[in-house]
Amino acid sequence: MGLKVPFVTSYLTEHFGDDDFTKLEGYRKRGGWEAARKALTTMTPDEVTETVKASGLQGRGGAGFPAGLKWSFMPKGGDKPRYIACNADESEPGSFKDRILLERGAHQMLEGILIGAWAMQAEKTFIYCRGEYAGPGASIRRALEECYAAGILGANCLGTGFCHDVVLMLGAGAYICGEETGLLESLEGKKGQPRKKPPFPAQHGAFGMPTTVNNVETFSHVRHILNHGPEWFKGFGTDKSPGTTIFGVSGHVARPGLFELPLGTRLDEIIFEHAGGVANGRKLKGVIPGGMSMPILPAGQIDVQMANEFLRERKTMLGTGGIIVMDETTCMVRASCVITYFFRDESCGQCTQCREGTGWLHKIITRIERGAGSMEDIDILADIAGKMEGATICAFADAAAWPVQGMLRHFREDFELHVKHGKCPFPESFEL
Amino acid sequence: MAKLSVDGVDYEVADGRTILQALDDLGLLMNGVDVPHYCWHPKLSVDGSCRLCQVEVEGFPKLQIGCNTPIKDGMVVRTKSERVKKAREGVMELLLVNHPLDCPICDQAGECKLQDYAFEYGATHARTEEPRRALKKRVDLGPTITFDQERCILCRRCVRFCREVSETGELGVFNRGDHSVVETFPGTKVDNPYSMNIADICPVGALTTKDFRFKIRVWFLEEPPGICTGCANGCNVFLGVANNKVYRYVPRRNDAVNETWICDSGRMTYKQIGAADRLERAMLRSAQGTLEATAYGQAIDEAAARLRRLVQTKGPGVIAGVASAFASNEDLAIFRRFLAALGTDLAGVAIPTGEADDLLIKAEKAPNGEGARLLGFADAKGVADRIRGGRVEGLVVLGHDLLGPGYFGSEQELAKLDTVIVLDTHRSELERVSHVLLPVRHAAEKHATYTNHAGRVQRSWPVIEPSFEAYADGEVLSRLGAALGLAGFDGKFEVGEVSRGLGKLASAFRGIDLESVGEQGLPVAMKAG
Repeated sequence: MGLKVPFVTSYLTEHFGDDDFTKLEGYRKRGGWEAARKALTTMTPDEVTETVKASGLQGRGGAGFPAGLKWSFMPKGGDKPRYIACNADESEPGSFKDRILLERGAHQMLEGILIGAWAMQAEKTFIYCRGEYAGPGASIRRALEECYAAGILGANCLGTGFCHDVVLMLGAGAYICGEETGLLESLEGKKGQPRKKPPFPAQHGAFGMPTTVNNVETFSHVRHILNHGPEWFKGFGTDKSPGTTIFGVSGHVARPGLFELPLGTRLDEIIFEHAGGVANGRKLKGVIPGGMSMPILPAGQIDVQMANEFLRERKTMLGTGGIIVMDETTCMVRASCVITYFFRDESCGQCTQCREGTGWLHKIITRIERGAGSMEDIDILADIAGKMEGATICAFADAAAWPVQGMLRHFREDFELHVKHGKCPFPESFEL
Repeated sequence: MAKLSVDGVDYEVADGRTILQALDDLGLLMNGVDVPHYCWHPKLSVDGSCRLCQVEVEGFPKLQIGCNTPIKDGMVVRTKSERVKKAREGVMELLLVNHPLDCPICDQAGECKLQDYAFEYGATHARTEEPRRALKKRVDLGPTITFDQERCILCRRCVRFCREVSETGELGVFNRGDHSVVETFPGTKVDNPYSMNIADICPVGALTTKDFRFKIRVWFLEEPPGICTGCANGCNVFLGVANNKVYRYVPRRNDAVNETWICDSGRMTYKQIGAADRLERAMLRSAQGTLEATAYGQAIDEAAARLRRLVQTKGPGVIAGVASAFASNEDLAIFRRFLAALGTDLAGVAIPTGEADDLLIKAEKAPNGEGARLLGFADAKGVADRIRGGRVEGLVVLGHDLLGPGYFGSEQELAKLDTVIVLDTHRSELERVSHVLLPVRHAAEKHATYTNHAGRVQRSWPVIEPSFEAYADGEVLSRLGAALGLAGFDGKFEVGEVSRGLGKLASAFRGIDLESVGEQGLPVAMKAG
């Protein structure tokens, strides 16, 4: 099978069905590398940054930080080389959008990187790709080889005299290396664990140099903004969240896959119209809207536009746009076991709350699932999650606490039923 | 300078400091302003991971960690609010989730920060039902340290110490999350000249020194200040004292001398105080040629008689004095006066030497070589040459370093001397050629000042009383001077008075004496020209 192309496409994925789009020649035939040429030959670095700022492009890695603003944090001048790190360490469970952007659109991403490099006058880009992404990694490598052979990257980018190198590095499979400073540590050959801030990467990033870290998809949008202008870009999505994104839908749906849609598309529309609704004629129970670290929404609350300004009102966030759908058979305690196991295993272990909290959450939830929990345990879960939130070096502890808080907010009854019955009351649920 | 308000009190602090550094600079940290912390240490890089030092900073919606929040002018910090208290309670509960709570059999109990803060911020009962992490116990980390992995709270002070201070890097944190453990890298041991500091900075009972563990419960110890006498650095220590015995040295912070560290070999010099080879009895060479224990006063009289005879028959010029760099400034001041009153100018100081490094360890392996030089004692090599040349017949020696490789190497060449009078803390080969042996006190047994390699004058206090008759070198020499009837010697030795007189003897000591140096010491005046 394999997810060859998205079911719904827009500007990012328009040509992903064309096999030659992955090659330099095919990419150029469809206007590829013209946006970079335009930026490097007709625009000043500041003009490029201002254009991206004006577009309102938000980072697509999960936190949604405005990309142009981030670029503007990079110090100008000085004797230190400036670096870019492209975060291709996609490993949030439920997220698989960057994979296709790399497999089918590596040139598109690289073009965004070169434009960003011009804007920030960066000397070098490190693409940090997760180790398990052997296929996407190979796609990046092929595209890089073509770009160097054609003089697009390297000592004289596109013949303009601008110098920019792009280096590919494969990670070794830790989720935390997708956190931007954990990524930088790993990139430097150290154990992947987030850095305390300050200093921030724009002052002290990769190898101590000013560095901007952006996600694969964020860079992929850039050429379109340069080609068509910020106003065109803002024509997609909502006022506050412009552009499209690639929603990845997985779980109990008839047609799981990738769907490039404007931000602000309603969640129920994505599930029922695009992903074919709940599979096997079952009823919907809950939906994780943006990758596993985002709080779940119950079936009754999916009439929401997929953009942070709306999702926040329902105490969740867009995250990576990875939508995980769960039907009525799902035991939410079991689902919580899976979620907390993941975070327990992936916590880097630096901060007390995260190291000890993730393990304790998982142990208690596992015990509740076994039928050996108490009502007090449920309160303790909420208490631990509260202690973990917002108190650590990076957002990992929040990412581990939020889904538990979401489960308790909307599915506390599932937990209480386990306690009352002394066993799991969902015989049809997935096996642990 | 920046203005900083902490709990409603305004302070002026240096620029570029973090909240904890500023509180530390002001001397307030855990000493008026309680911001409990585990991973932060004033002499190590910031880790920011224990999260215990969270405080409220005006303008920040979230609590901020004091260890990594730079002070901005006008910053307002609160350390006592309910939010801060709750955060500390939260961290403490989580730190204890996997802790074995084995305080009754843990040697750190009584000086354990986990115990202290749990007492203050911990819950009265645990809410955990699940089994705690089972990890390695009694790990042999190297020649000096035993490690209990279960007690470790992963503050990583030891890891950073080995990377940043000893620069040996033997330790790392392996694995992730709640399966993280501190271990040595494969094939390595924690084996460096500063290894035992990691037991000092370990806030819990995970790292303990093989030397001290299970020797005594720390609550039986008094910990008066003092200095290490292992080399010319004079590292500041606390002496762990109980039952009139010194059980250990632990480093005492002095940023001008040893920061918060001490080397392993210096730390072990506490053993010299109660060593089996202490010189415990005054002794005299008998007519049969054997050494016989005798009353102290009789030994002094005999020493005086021998010296008087030499002066009367050969003149004072045949008598030489060899000072020790283990003797204090006060002892040496008296020795100088003694030799002058006797009429000899033949004197030097014997200083043992050895390896040095860039951190603390100095080549001169005694605490007061610089004091001896400032008080006019040249190196004893000159005296040694005179002795070899046969021009010396009587010798008054403090200590036995004259036998060191830089001087005589052995006692044999001294055998031909008519009179050898030795004042020493410990027994040595010098016994074989001495005629009078007089036990003296160790630094930990007397009030005294010492001048370290950099000219910093520091002091010791009497923290134990020797179980045998022994006096400070200065006192013995005062009595000997009186017995000889030397001018200015009445047999009394008042160390404070001698100390106050140091400045008259050598201008470098002006304004410096036992009282003024305090616990942190004072630098001598710059040498003119």
